[in-house]
Amino acid sequence: MTNVAFKQRSHLEPALTDPAIRILNIEGLLGRWRNTNARTNGISEIHIARENAGFTVRIVGVGPDGPVDWPVAEGVVLANLEEEAGQKAVAIAANFDLGFMTAETHLRVNKGVLVIVLVVTFRDDSGRSDYINREFYYKAAEVE
Amino acid sequence: MQAAQLFDLVEVNSTDPIEFSHWAGKWINSNPETTGIARLEISEAHGEFFLEAHAIGPDGLIPWGRTPIKTLAANPTSRKGAGFTCSYDFGFVSVRLQAMIVKGLIVLGQFHTFKDDSGRASFFVREYFAIEHGRY
Repeated sequence: MTNVAFKQRSHLEPALTDPAIRILNIEGLLGRWRNTNARTNGISEIHIARENAGFTVRIVGVGPDGPVDWPVAEGVVLANLEEEAGQKAVAIAANFDLGFMTAETHLRVNKGVLVIVLVVTFRDDSGRSDYINREFYYKAAEVE
Repeated sequence: MQAAQLFDLVEVNSTDPIEFSHWAGKWINSNPETTGIARLEISEAHGEFFLEAHAIGPDGLIPWGRTPIKTLAANPTSRKGAGFTCSYDFGFVSVRLQAMIVKGLIVLGQFHTFKDDSGRASFFVREYFAIEHGRY
C-alpha cells in the first residue's frame, strides 16, 4: 500500500483493503446470546442480527420489574488483523443512547464466548460514576 | 433514578471525582513486535487527565499528541479509577481508545475508522500495556 496517510505501521497493512476482511467469520457473532451469569444484574441478553445491508444490536437489561429493552443500535463491523484463539474474526461496535445515559459497546467472540466491553456514561445528575465493565455470553437458541 | 439495568440502580453516597492519579505514568506495550501503539503516557494537570500515545512508524515512533481522557470506575458507586476512554482525530482516520485496567495492566481496545478514500477497512486491536515503574 503506497501513498496513503498513516499514523502507525498497521495503517499500511495490505490486508485492510481486502473486502473479505470486513465480514470475516461474521456469522459467528450473529444470533441470540445469554449472560453466562444467570444471576446477573446487568445485561441478560444480546441479539446481533443482519438487517438489510448492515447489522443491528439489541440489548435486554435486567430491570427491577422485568426485562428492559434498550433501543436497537446499529452495529459497526470492525476487522481484526490478528488471530484470537486461533481464529481471525470481525467484531462489532454499537452505541446506545437512552437519554439519561449512553452506552458504548464492543462485542467480539473469543473461543465461542461473546465478550462485551461496556462503557456507561450517565448524563443525569444522579452522581453515579461513569464506568467500564466486561461480561460474557453463550450462544442460545433463538426462541426458547 | 432511571436505570436500564439493576446494576445501575444504586445509592450514591459520594460526590468525589474518580481517583485516577495512581495511573499516571509511562506504559509500555507488552508486545515488542507491535505495529501499533508502542507507548502511552498518562499525565494530570489541574485535576484533568491526558493521554499521549506514541505509535510505531516505518522510521521510528510517531507521537500522536496529547488528548484528554475520560476516567472510568468499575461500577456506578465506585470512585476508584478502573479505565478510561479517549479519541484521536487525524482527519483521514479517527481512533477511539477504550482502556480497562486489569490486574495492574492496561488492556487497550483500539478502534480505527478510516475516513479517506483509501478503501481501508475499519479495524480493532487489543493490546496490553505495563507501567514503567523504574524499580528492580
